[in-house]
Amino acid sequence: MSDREAPSTGTAYYTYGVVPLDFPAGAFKGAQGVGGRPVELVASTEVAALTSVVSLDEFGEEPLHANLNDREWLERTARAHEDVLERALAAAPVIPFRLCTVYRGRDQVLDLLSNRGAAFARLLDRLRGTVEVGVKVYLDRARFLEAAGATPAPASPSGREYMLRRQRERTVDEERERFKAECARSSHERLASVALAAEANAPQPPEVSGRTDEMVLNGAYLVEAADGALAEAVAELERAYGPRGVSYELTGPWTPYNFVPRDLAET
Amino acid sequence: MSESPDRPLEQQITLLELVDRVLNKGVVLSGDITLSVADVDLVYVGLRVLLASVGTLERLHEGA
Repeated sequence: MSDREAPSTGTAYYTYGVVPLDFPAGAFKGAQGVGGRPVELVASTEVAALTSVVSLDEFGEEPLHANLNDREWLERTARAHEDVLERALAAAPVIPFRLCTVYRGRDQVLDLLSNRGAAFARLLDRLRGTVEVGVKVYLDRARFLEAAGATPAPASPSGREYMLRRQRERTVDEERERFKAECARSSHERLASVALAAEANAPQPPEVSGRTDEMVLNGAYLVEAADGALAEAVAELERAYGPRGVSYELTGPWTPYNFVPRDLAET
Repeated sequence: MSESPDRPLEQQITLLELVDRVLNKGVVLSGDITLSVADVDLVYVGLRVLLASVGTLERLHEGA
């Protein structure tokens, strides 16, 4: 922000992720990363890291705890992190690191690259030319009920009518749960069949997704960047399930967050 | 890379989608200064609650 930070506090290396050595040097000319800092490549003999020199005033252990609980700071930093990774993805494969991976100095980044260089390089080879696409599948309850032929309740039902309606509602609920499970399974299977790799994450509850529709599937798919097969499969599924109240939402392209191991030692 | 028209329009959803990935996914290395897993869970839980309440507020405003 301002230039008034104390010179004594020092700096550290924010690390966004890893790219191959053939990464175009000019890709980040004039671009800003987290904290408004420029993006620098730190290269070893096998791979290179995308980094920004950041202030410990902002990214030191103590300030980090406070900053992460500041929604605006978190949003700003998450977007800057993602922007750098997306810009890199336009030029080369990228291994995304989790937000706020910060090393004390350039030497520590180089240590990481030399210790894990071979594993990073293998992973980058596998990821070359691919992107991650998110697909969320939602069910609109009202449209599902309509398609199931449920009739709206009378304004003042008699006792018998009420009992019959309750019974019917229970049957429709069971049917809806069965339908959701079957729609999630067949959608994920169909999408996975045209993807290089697939991951079904836990569906988000409505209070988090911000939609009244129920989330049926929260999938991530690794595909060739220029491959239209996933979009075609989505359109096909929408034609099949749309009439029963199902809608499909595509997000991305993302860097392959879902397709890198959490811990590289696992590979 | 150009902005994809498929991205959700609503800011709150986009933020959650983003946070879902940048905090929950990606390679986790032990940097010299890095978030502990507990921190991330806290932030994430905090954000879920926050976004949920923002969503509720918006719905209340719409309904008013």
